[in-house]
Amino acid sequence: MASCLETISVPHLPSLPVHVALYRDVQNAAFLKGQLLAGNSEFEYALIDASMLLSRAHATAAVFRAVNDYMHNRLKSRNVHSEIVFSFNSTNNIAESFRRFGIADSTKDLLVVKVSVSPEITHESVAAHLCATVQGTSVPFDDQTLAEVHDVNKIKRVYKLGALPSPPKATDLSNGTNDELRQRLENALLAAIALRGS
Amino acid sequence: MIAIGMEGSANKLGIGIMLHPKDGSPPQVLANIRHTYVSPPGEGFLPKDTARHHRAWVVKLVKQALKEARVSVDDVDCICFTQGPGMGAPLQSVVVAARMLSLLWGKELVGVNHCVGHIEMGRLITGATNPVVLYVSGGNTQVIAYSSQRYRIFGETLDMAVGNCLDRFARTLHISNDPAPGYNIEQLAKQGKQLVDLPYVVKGMDCSFSGILAAIDGLAREWGLGGEEKAKEDEKNIQKSVIAANEGLESTPTRADLCFSLQETVFSMLVEITERAMAHVGSKQVLIVGGVGSNERLQEMMGIMARDRGGSVYATDERFCIDNGIMIAQAGMLAYGTGYRTPLEKSTCTQRFRTDEVFVKWRN
Amino acid sequence: MEDYKPPDLPSPFNNTTPPPTLLTQGAEAHLYKTTSLNPSNPAALKIRPSKPYRHPILDRRLTRQRILQEARCLAKLVREGVSVPALLALDWEGHGGEEGGWGGAWLMMEWIEGDVVRVVLEKWEAWMKNNQASLDESQIEREEAQVRGLLKKMGAAIGALHKAGVVHGDLTTSNLMLRPFAGADGAGAESVSTEGDVVLIDFGLASQSAQDEDRAVDLYVLERAIGSTHPRSEPLFDELLLGYRESYKGAPSALKRLEDVRMRGRKRSMLG
Repeated sequence: MASCLETISVPHLPSLPVHVALYRDVQNAAFLKGQLLAGNSEFEYALIDASMLLSRAHATAAVFRAVNDYMHNRLKSRNVHSEIVFSFNSTNNIAESFRRFGIADSTKDLLVVKVSVSPEITHESVAAHLCATVQGTSVPFDDQTLAEVHDVNKIKRVYKLGALPSPPKATDLSNGTNDELRQRLENALLAAIALRGS
Repeated sequence: MIAIGMEGSANKLGIGIMLHPKDGSPPQVLANIRHTYVSPPGEGFLPKDTARHHRAWVVKLVKQALKEARVSVDDVDCICFTQGPGMGAPLQSVVVAARMLSLLWGKELVGVNHCVGHIEMGRLITGATNPVVLYVSGGNTQVIAYSSQRYRIFGETLDMAVGNCLDRFARTLHISNDPAPGYNIEQLAKQGKQLVDLPYVVKGMDCSFSGILAAIDGLAREWGLGGEEKAKEDEKNIQKSVIAANEGLESTPTRADLCFSLQETVFSMLVEITERAMAHVGSKQVLIVGGVGSNERLQEMMGIMARDRGGSVYATDERFCIDNGIMIAQAGMLAYGTGYRTPLEKSTCTQRFRTDEVFVKWRN
Repeated sequence: MEDYKPPDLPSPFNNTTPPPTLLTQGAEAHLYKTTSLNPSNPAALKIRPSKPYRHPILDRRLTRQRILQEARCLAKLVREGVSVPALLALDWEGHGGEEGGWGGAWLMMEWIEGDVVRVVLEKWEAWMKNNQASLDESQIEREEAQVRGLLKKMGAAIGALHKAGVVHGDLTTSNLMLRPFAGADGAGAESVSTEGDVVLIDFGLASQSAQDEDRAVDLYVLERAIGSTHPRSEPLFDELLLGYRESYKGAPSALKRLEDVRMRGRKRSMLG
């Protein structure tokens, strides 16, 4: 199961590798959320409801924003992992960002992100811990998988992009027009993440 | 070749005598004298008073210049005078004097654009070959670069000149006009510490100052810093604010702070538009001319910008920066050398005379 | 005179491998090519370095204000579906290469393939000059039709920009790009290919405005730029205006204003 934990070296941030894993059919979301709320440091992850993720680029943008702010001592929330969840939001309301993007009791599809902010955090340590604690099916973290789990209308709503034409449900990713619409929506999300708090 | 230059487009009356040796060696300044009409604190100079001043002094200054230069009237080849731009009445009083001398002595006239005079004098004194020119004075604010026989205006003020903005704020603060309001603002600004937020208006290579003046006048009023009484307390207040700053206290801004903030803001705008023009034409030299160009803080800021671009700044001191007669003689003689003459019937002056209207025949 | 050395890159780009390559150095900003957040995609990185000549408080205020203005314009245009580079990431606070000092703000954008229109037109004008003698009337006609088509697309792109409530502030043929259609091989056409999408770039002087005056000045600046740099293409400028006119409802009134702006020129007579 842990074989799908991916370790990304985000361009421009080589000193802070980022570990990501995408799960489907998660059975113990309430437990994971509980650990987070209890402040259990073993469970210091960014736990994101994958239905809110348009694409890999969408998620990477939020991670980049949070890690860059972390590097420059500008965190608005408790740590870099909570900051990742916050970074998805287009407004400065931290509690709201967790309601919108964070794990909920009902979350079935989950993205887990962990940044190697200290040397003990390695691919192996994260893989082992996730393997032992997340009850779900590990799947590849790619656009195709995200397209199966995300809720485009909900994403558009929280980013206040209702006026944008929706790309039709991505059954056929090869269609040119759909591609263009999806790209436009994605670009609008990236811009919203970049400009938050300005 | 010897020329007399006569300048009187604003409150300075300048007479200069310049020699261009026949052997092609560098031009020499034989005389450079000036008399300034100074108005009382809180007042600007009015055209009619300034014209009266020029009329009263011009003969005396010409005589003195000839004496200083140790030349006789026979040695003089031409009489160069400012045709514009500038204030109508003062310009006119000098043109009349130039015409009179031309008729009296039988010398040819050469009309000179005031801005071109500044540029040519700056080039001569500094040795800058092809610089971007920032021309800043009480009447003009232009960024100029030479191209195909014109001094082209790349950017300029959209309303008042930067020197006018400084002078008028000096009036608000009742700062002395002697030797120049801008000079006294500069001295007071050196005591300033706090930067007050002011509008910053740059549009491409153009800029605007009227909004800044209105804003800072408003602040002076709000904090009760304007007027004659406050002007007397400058010494005391500066000391107080220095003590406060040393103790790390936020004090309300002083008159010095306002002067400091005004300079920092408007000079940043000038350096910015100059840099933009330099990037545009690919030049690394910048020459500052005009009265405001003698401000050391402006020169310093321009120097930092130029250095960061791998270039350098050229500036002159008050003898050549501030309006003078030799710059008119210098530019006039360059034109004279190419055969340019201003016949008597065309020896008029004009308040509006753009730098780019002059055909610069003496450069390639 | 010593050679120019660009200022240190702000963090985190001082750690980027390979280091971003400097493309152009304007007065305000330096443009680099680097990789986007996806290592397989290139990106354009625009840095507004700190200006040591101005007071640090003023410097921060201006740098922040301007990078945000540019970013907000881009964001708006992306949402409206106008052809502009996507805004990928942004930092308006700025960090120096060393000791976390103030080094400038930055903005990362989508990389746009292709040439700027200035280059396309120059290539075309050069080609026409070299081949004119051997072309018959119908070939010349075809070549000009091709460029007319490009100008019309440019007009439509500018119309879309204005329709979205943004004016560019510095429209030149260097700020319009021709992005070839994906998979197009470029060559093939007889002279220079004008196939592709027109993409507007460099919003460093852009602002949000829906006023006819601002729109007309945008067009006027471009008209002048084409007149001075592309003499052969200038007579075809009407085609650009046609493309513009058809692109949105407010276009005719902006074009009417353009007449006034032309009459007035940029030239003002000023008091000395």
